[in-house]
Order: sequence, then structure tokens, then C-alpha cells
Amino acid sequence: MGHAGAAHPIYDAIIVGSGVSGSYVAYELCKKGLNCLLLEAGQNLNKHTYPRTEMDGNANLYWSGGIEFNKNASIGFLRPKVVGGGSIVNQALLDRFDDIALDSWREKSSINFLNRTELDPFYDLAEAELAIEEIPEKYRNGNANIFKEGFDKNEYKWAPLKRAQKDCKYDRGNDCIECLNGCRLDSKQSMPVTVLKKALSGELPGKLTIVSDFEVGTVSHGTSDKKIVGFYKNGDVETFKAKIVVLGAGSMGNTKILTQSDFGKKLKSIGHHFYTHPQYMVLARYDKKINAHKGPLQSLKSDDLNFRQNGFKLENVFAGPVAISMLLPQWGDNHSKIMNDITKLACIEVAVRDTNPGKISINRSGKIIVDKVLNGEDKLRRSKGLKAIENIFNSTGAVEIIEGQLPIGLHLMGGCGIGTDGKSSVFNPEFELHDQKGIYAADSSIFPNAPGINPSLTIMALSIKCAEQITASM
Amino acid sequence: MASKYLDKTSLRGLEKVGNVLIPGNQHYPKFSHLRTLRNIDRIIGELPSADLTDLALFLKVLAWTPSLFIKALFWLITKKDLFPDFLAGPLRLMDIGLKGIIYTLYYSNTSQTENILKSMEYCAETPSYEGSPMQTNTAAMTPDEGNLESGSIDLDKIFEKAKNAGSQIGKLTIRERLAPLIELKELVLERQEELIDIIQKETNKSRSDALFSEIFPIVDTLHWMEVEAENILKDKKVKTPIVLMGKTSYIYHQGLGVVLVISPWNYPLFQALVPIAHALICGNAVIYKPSEFTPLKGAVESLLNDAGVSSDLVQVIYGGGKLGSDLIEKRPDKIFFTGSVGTGKKIMQQAGKHLIPVELELGGKDPMIVFEDANIQRSVKGAAWGAMTNAGQSCTSVERLYVHEDIYENFKSELIVEVGKIKQLIDTNGNSDIGHMTNSQQAKKVRALVLDAVAKGAKALTNEYWIESPKSELEIPAIVLEGVTSEMEIWDCEIFGPILPIFKFSSEIDVINRANDSSFGLSASVWTADKTRATRVTKSLETGNVSVNNVMLTEGNPYLPFGGVKNSGIGRYKGAHGLLSFCNIKSVLFDGNSSKVEANWYPYTTEKYHLFDNLMQALFKGGIMGLIKFAFYGLKLEMLSGKLGKKGRA
Repeated sequence: MGHAGAAHPIYDAIIVGSGVSGSYVAYELCKKGLNCLLLEAGQNLNKHTYPRTEMDGNANLYWSGGIEFNKNASIGFLRPKVVGGGSIVNQALLDRFDDIALDSWREKSSINFLNRTELDPFYDLAEAELAIEEIPEKYRNGNANIFKEGFDKNEYKWAPLKRAQKDCKYDRGNDCIECLNGCRLDSKQSMPVTVLKKALSGELPGKLTIVSDFEVGTVSHGTSDKKIVGFYKNGDVETFKAKIVVLGAGSMGNTKILTQSDFGKKLKSIGHHFYTHPQYMVLARYDKKINAHKGPLQSLKSDDLNFRQNGFKLENVFAGPVAISMLLPQWGDNHSKIMNDITKLACIEVAVRDTNPGKISINRSGKIIVDKVLNGEDKLRRSKGLKAIENIFNSTGAVEIIEGQLPIGLHLMGGCGIGTDGKSSVFNPEFELHDQKGIYAADSSIFPNAPGINPSLTIMALSIKCAEQITASM
Repeated sequence: MASKYLDKTSLRGLEKVGNVLIPGNQHYPKFSHLRTLRNIDRIIGELPSADLTDLALFLKVLAWTPSLFIKALFWLITKKDLFPDFLAGPLRLMDIGLKGIIYTLYYSNTSQTENILKSMEYCAETPSYEGSPMQTNTAAMTPDEGNLESGSIDLDKIFEKAKNAGSQIGKLTIRERLAPLIELKELVLERQEELIDIIQKETNKSRSDALFSEIFPIVDTLHWMEVEAENILKDKKVKTPIVLMGKTSYIYHQGLGVVLVISPWNYPLFQALVPIAHALICGNAVIYKPSEFTPLKGAVESLLNDAGVSSDLVQVIYGGGKLGSDLIEKRPDKIFFTGSVGTGKKIMQQAGKHLIPVELELGGKDPMIVFEDANIQRSVKGAAWGAMTNAGQSCTSVERLYVHEDIYENFKSELIVEVGKIKQLIDTNGNSDIGHMTNSQQAKKVRALVLDAVAKGAKALTNEYWIESPKSELEIPAIVLEGVTSEMEIWDCEIFGPILPIFKFSSEIDVINRANDSSFGLSASVWTADKTRATRVTKSLETGNVSVNNVMLTEGNPYLPFGGVKNSGIGRYKGAHGLLSFCNIKSVLFDGNSSKVEANWYPYTTEKYHLFDNLMQALFKGGIMGLIKFAFYGLKLEMLSGKLGKKGRA
């Protein structure tokens, strides 16, 4: 690890953030022979060192000790901070965007390539780097079975999830809930076991260097190079230089870096149009064991056109005991009683395709302030989703339905939108900052609006396309 | 319970909230009973500092708020949606913040006394890590089975972590370092039965052996540290002689940096925690490599973790001899090794290359000397216990029993009866004297030594059946052996098994010579009614420790240092001397920031030479005249030095 004062080369590219976007961009650029530096604020962990408890997972794998909130604390945001980013802590769901999502993106951004025909080759390339599986029926757990049974009884349509995973050892009793703090089997196709591994193998023409525990503060244009200034965990300040910079620090990270770097004066739209697919988990207590925490954590999803048109989707999920305990509205003895029945709980969540744009801003002390609430339409979407969940639970014999207390935003999107117009967007159709050559982004921060579909695969596809643009322009 | 971020009042507030949120019922303990508050820093350590300040303040307020009001607050929170947003927002944050911390502490299942998740019948596993629920330490190196050799462990990273952690702990006060050790003491007491289970499983010892010789001395030593360490380790002002008038002198006791602790298999928990505690209290980081025979995997990590010792400060690394050697190559600042003479020599040789200080606690072949005036009943029982405790697998086991010829026959027949009564079983309830041998390598060695002795004429006086037909390899019964001679291998070789050779002696001189005729010099015991003789013999024995009318008891007093001479080792640990051996004992002298030129600085002149000579003569002659002369010459010398300092040599 370099430290203050040490001399560094001028890299071809510096990538900020080692999540899905940063890792794919780094890999693609290394393939083209560029020497890349990947900066990550979080720690560089592996299957031996991933945290073992929810306590340590929350504190060590996310920003701000686990969770962040919007201004009135009505939505919690989970923002991963670790080499590999979201790919370490997510459930690795991969879906291509449909026409509904892409049509609305095209409309919002006026960017023509945002259509399936032009994006499919990039989706193909992205998928080729990962092993993708569906959970075999015989391993589905009690929670998935209730999901399916309820969907069938209510004539909702469901589909198996496509997950980036390989050899999850269900036959040996693996419980995927454990991999929410990083997969200890290297089964989850996270960035460090896929593209980053290849980029670091030394077999590509370009070389990749990863510096972890380093938080980027600003990016600026020097005499001929881009300059990145940031600091290590111990407070040591360091400067890195490169020909180009790719920002992959997500909605909040990119907004913070660009704002601190004074781009806000010109690009008024930085921090605007922030979306988050607010997710509401609903628990149901049964009088039998469900064991939602055993086996594959998520197997199924809603695949219902009616849901899609009404702006929500349902997911078959569960969470660890700490997270479940926080969802319960009770406290004291009543709370303990429900916790005692944790193995009898099933859970479904509704994810809302939110329409009300939020705003991210940075206050004087550098704290990220998120203004994000649901409007009438969003609330309607949520209540339709909640109704569908209620129907599912009621038709499958639930004793009690408990609405979770804390909506969570896991998909942090927008804030630095892509578009043709420099007034309403931040990055141009070449993924480059409006009015500033050499600063790129292709992560979820450039999403023009909420697609209503899990973003990972599309971030990968856009990142590959971005890397292609970069090498073409060099 | 200590936290870097929250003071006692804030912690009390948090505990109060915890008991409101989780009051406990027939299935679960209430929040405070789970004692997981000690993990608080693992949760709040990453919080933004502004949030942390708010939290601490809020908790302080709650500490003084009656529980009824706290209950009312949570009731209010359930109605939060009725409030306008500017009120609902803070209420929500309060709600999530407090519940988040309390539930995380409670449901993360970090308590080892109560497995909350198990009570909830919640069990989630990853196949390659299944098994010990103890393995909860977050960043500790707990490589899985295929990853034991050092090739796959990044030793540089481990040492980098240790160095950083070492410099951190060096900045703490002794009291701050003590806090987790007190916690550790309580934890060992609390988790004693579970720990004994683990120890028994890997060592095959009897339950009582584990309690008396591992758990008790750990707690005893930690308690001693609690009482004495600060006094021993604090900065000490020492006298400054009159020639150095106006200056002050101190001794600082600081950590050395990174201490490598390599432990044996006979007392795996004791030999882990006690050296680790020594190193920590003195301000060192520790890299600890347990014996590959008794790794107690996860146990030490989990205890330290629960005590609030960061996983960087004490890193536990599993592996064999190759790993030990690789670790030494990374140049720790001190090596603390307990084990065999052979390995000790290798370690010292390797350490010598890098001039790393070593402390070696090696083997012994301890003599027990029973004079004719000793109380026979007591010394017989002492001999049986001293030779057989822990199935003889102690470095201070009695391995040579010398009995005066006048009482020899009588003593021998009583000893045979006493040893015959020893109950041998790996028990579950404490009702057994000795267990089995810990590992087959040692069991084979012991058997070979005894068979060789018997073949050359020695005779087993107890459990003779074992010579012909042992029940199993590891179950070696207590054997008294008569007729051992210098032709036999067992003569000067550490046995490390439940075997007691017995000899007859005729005079004090004779027995001292024979006791000292050994390459070892660890400890000895002298049994007599004559205190003068006891003192005389004790002083003549070439050992590091001697017990009189008792056996293996110097180890029982944490105020006494422990260590051997000759092949039994180098250095001392335990007691004040033991603590100091983990310190950089730094001499410090403070002088004022004046323009004064010291008399012993340049330039030297003939006049100065004579004045200094006179001063020195006066000083060491003593008496009132000497003192007056000293003052006179001292003054003259000062003036001369001042003048020379300004104007230089004429």
C-alpha cells in the first residue's frame, strides 16, 4: 500500500469504487492494456476474513457503521463499503431490463442506445463473466414454498430467480443467509472471485493495482492529468494521478465527490433524481416451522405483468435475526415472544418502483443529506404490493401478519444521471461528464430513473459499454 | 465492561434501555444478563463521530431517566406516525438507533454463555465452517482445514497488523490495558465448564486437572495483575545522586512491540492466556501460535473477543513447527516459548540470527527429596500428586524421588498403596484423579522409556500389568519405578508421563549431588522438619524454583517468578520479574532547559581535572568535612565550567 509522500506512477485510469461498475470497468480496461488503479474506501477481505456475525457484518461492510437514513429517518439505506461493493453483500440477482424500463430511460435521457437490441450484446458480455444459476426446485426452502403456493392460489405469476452463483453446496446444508456478510465458499459470483480476480491475475495486457481503505475526496483536472486526492483510514492524505478517472462510488459517493470537487456550480443536476426502490418487508407467523433462513435464501420472484404495470414487484426474502428483530414493531416481552418464533416466520417484500425523485446534497461538514420521500403514486404502488402480500399470506394459512417497521433502500440509483442535456443530466451519452473530458461514470448513479428491476446486470452491461467508449476515445 | 467511545454512565444508560427492550422471560435472559455490552465498540466503532457524540450524550440522559419513562418513550415511538414529521423524524432515529444497538448486541449471538440463536432453534451454517459455535471472532485468522501451513497465510500482513496494534496499546494507560483482562477473568469464571469441555476433548485430562491446573491459575494470575500490575509497571521516579543535582530520573516500563507466544500442549489454555495477558498488560501486541496437538481452535479468540481485545492485538495463528519458524523470520520483538529443550534450542538459534530476545520455559526432571524427619504420610501423598498430576505431563512433575534410607521401605510401601488408589478416567463430573495421555507421540515415548528401563533391570511397583498388556495406547497408568540406573535412557531424559522413579539416599551431601547431577534445573522439593536444613539444601539446589514440604507450589503463588536454569530455560515469567521481562525498561533523565554548561563537557583543562579529582575524593570520603569539601569544589567547578563554556580554553 502506498502512503503519503511515496511516488506513484501516472496511471492510465483511476477507478473510484470497486463495486460492480468499478470492477467491470477495471477489468475491461486492463484487457485493453491500460494500467489501472482501483481505489476502495472499504477493506479488502476474502472468504477467510468476511465477518461472521451480523454485528461485525453491519459495522465492517457498510458505510456509517451499517445503515444511513433519509432526512426524516423514514427510509434506511444500505451502502456497501468493501472491495467488491454490493456484489459481496447482495443476493446476486441478475435480470436484464425490460422495454418498460428502457423506454422510460430513453424518454428521460434522450439517449437512443438505451434499448434491448443495442444493449443485449453488452448483457451477453456481462453474463459471460459469471456463473448464473436458478435454484433447483428440490432445494427451495419453506419460505419459497409459501411464496409459490400463495402466488398460485392467487393466480399471480412467479418465476425462478437468476442468481450469480456456483456450487452453493445445498446438498451439504449450506444456508445462504450466511453469505449476506460475504460468501465463505466463494460460490457467490462477487467481483473479487470473478472479474477482479482475472484483472489481478497478471495475464491481461494491462496491470491492475487495488488500494483499499482509501476514501476519495476530490477529483480535479491538473495540468495534463486528472488528480485524485483522498485519505487513508488513519487520516494520511494521498494524491494519485491518471489520464482519466472513472467514478464508480454509487449515487451518494459520486455525488459527494463531484460536489466536493466543485462541479456543482456548472452541473446543477448533481444529486438530483435519486431513486432507491424502497423495499417493505412483511413477515407472517405460521403455526408450523418455515425455517426461512435455511438453504437458499431467495429462490423466486414475481413475474406478473399486472404487478409490473402497477409499479412494484415481490421478492422471496428473509434476513438475519438482528434485521428481523428490527423490523418488528413490538418491544419488550412481546418482541421476545415473536423472536422466539423466528423459525415460524415467512417473509415477502415489496419493492416499489419509485417515481418521486429524491435529492442528495452534501452539508458543510461533508455529511450526505438525502431528501427522499414517497409521493402519492409511490404510496399507492406500495399499498398495492402490500395487499398482494396479504393475499398470499392469508391464502397460505398465516396466523398473524406483521408489517416491517423499516423500509430499506438497497438499490441506490441516480443522482448523477446520464442524458443528452447538460442541464438535466450530469454525464453525457459517452458516459463522460458534461463539460469535462476524462471523467466517466457507468454505475447506478447515472440511472435516469428507477427501472423497477434489480440493477446489477445492467450496471455491468453499461460499464462494459463505458469501457469501450473510453478505449475508443483514447 | 469498557468502551473506547462510551463512558460508564452512557453504558449504564444503554444497559437500562436494553433491559426495557429485552426484559427476559422463561426462554431468554434479560439484556444485561447476556453480558454482550462488552461488544459495544464493535458496533459503534464505525459510526460517524458526530453521531457517536450525540449517542453518548443521549445515553447519559437515559442513565438518569427512570425505566418507567424509558418505557413511556418506546410506547410513544409506537405512535410516531401520529406526530408531525419534525417530531416523528427524531423519534424514528432514536427508535432505530437504540433498537439497532440493543438487538445487534443481543441477537448477533456473540455471547458464549447463552446461545440465543440456538434457543430460538435458529441455526444457519456454511459447510466448511460448520462445527464450533465458538468461531465468531470477526477478523481473526481462523483458516479452514486446508489452509494451515504458513504458505497460504500472509505473515507480512499479520505482522503489519500486530505492529499497528502494538503501537496503539502502547499509548493506553495500564488501567486501560487492564480493563479487558479483568473482563477476561470474569469470562473464564463464567465459561469455566464450557472451557473445561474443550480442554478435556483435546488433552484427555481429568476434569479436576483442568479446573485446578488451568482454570484456577489463569484466574489467579489475572487477579494478581488486577491488584499489582499498575504498581509494578507505572513510571517510577528513582533517586538521582548529588553529583547530578537538579536533575530528575525515571524508569518507564513500555512494551517491546510484537511478542510471539508459542505454547505447548500440556496446559493449552493456561499457557495461552497467561503469557498473552503478560504481554498485553505491558503494552505489547501478540501473535500466538498454539501447539498443533491442542489448538483449542477458536476458544482463545472467542474469550479475548468477548473481553474486548481486538483481533489485531492478539492474532491466533494455527500451524506446526514450520509456521513457528516462519513467524520468527518476520522478527518479532520478543519470543516467549514454552516447550521442549530441542525446540527451544532451535528457536534460540534462529532468534540469535536476528538478535531477538527469547524467553524459554523448557523441560525439567524435578527431584523430590524426602529426609528421614519428614512427615511420611504427607510426603507420600505429595509425591503421588506431584508425579502424577496431569498424567505426569507437566514440566515440573516429580521425576526423581529421593527418599532417605532410614524411612525408604516404609515410605515405599505407603507410596505403592497411595499410587494404587489413583483413579484414572476422562470423567465428566470431576470424580477422577488423572486422565489419559494427550497424544500418541508422547505416549509412545513414555512406553519406550519404561520398557527400556524394565529390560535393563528396573521394576514397576504399581500397575505392573501395563508392562505386558496395556489397555490402550493413551491410557498409561501411574507407575512407581524402582532400580533405575544411569544405563537406562530414563535416567536423564524428561519422562513427561505418569512414571515415578524412586531412589534411596544416605546423606544430605549425597542427595544434593545426585539432585544436581542433571542437565535440567527447573524446580525441586525438599521435605523435612528441620527448617535450617531445608534452607541449606534449597540454596544448594541448581534449580529455578524450590518448594519446601510441598510440591509444584511456587507456581501457585503469582507473586513468585517462574523459570529454570541449565537446560530448563532462560528468563523468568510471572511475578514482578515476569512482567518486566515483557517490557522495554527505559531509563530517562530530565534536566532543565538552561544555558548551563555541564562540568563534564568540553573543554577539559588541567584545572578542571584537579577540581574534579578533589570533588570526587571529597564525595566518596563521606563525613561532614567531605560534604563541605564537596560543596566547595562543586561550586568552583561550576564556576569554572561556566567561564570555560563562554570563553573557551585560554
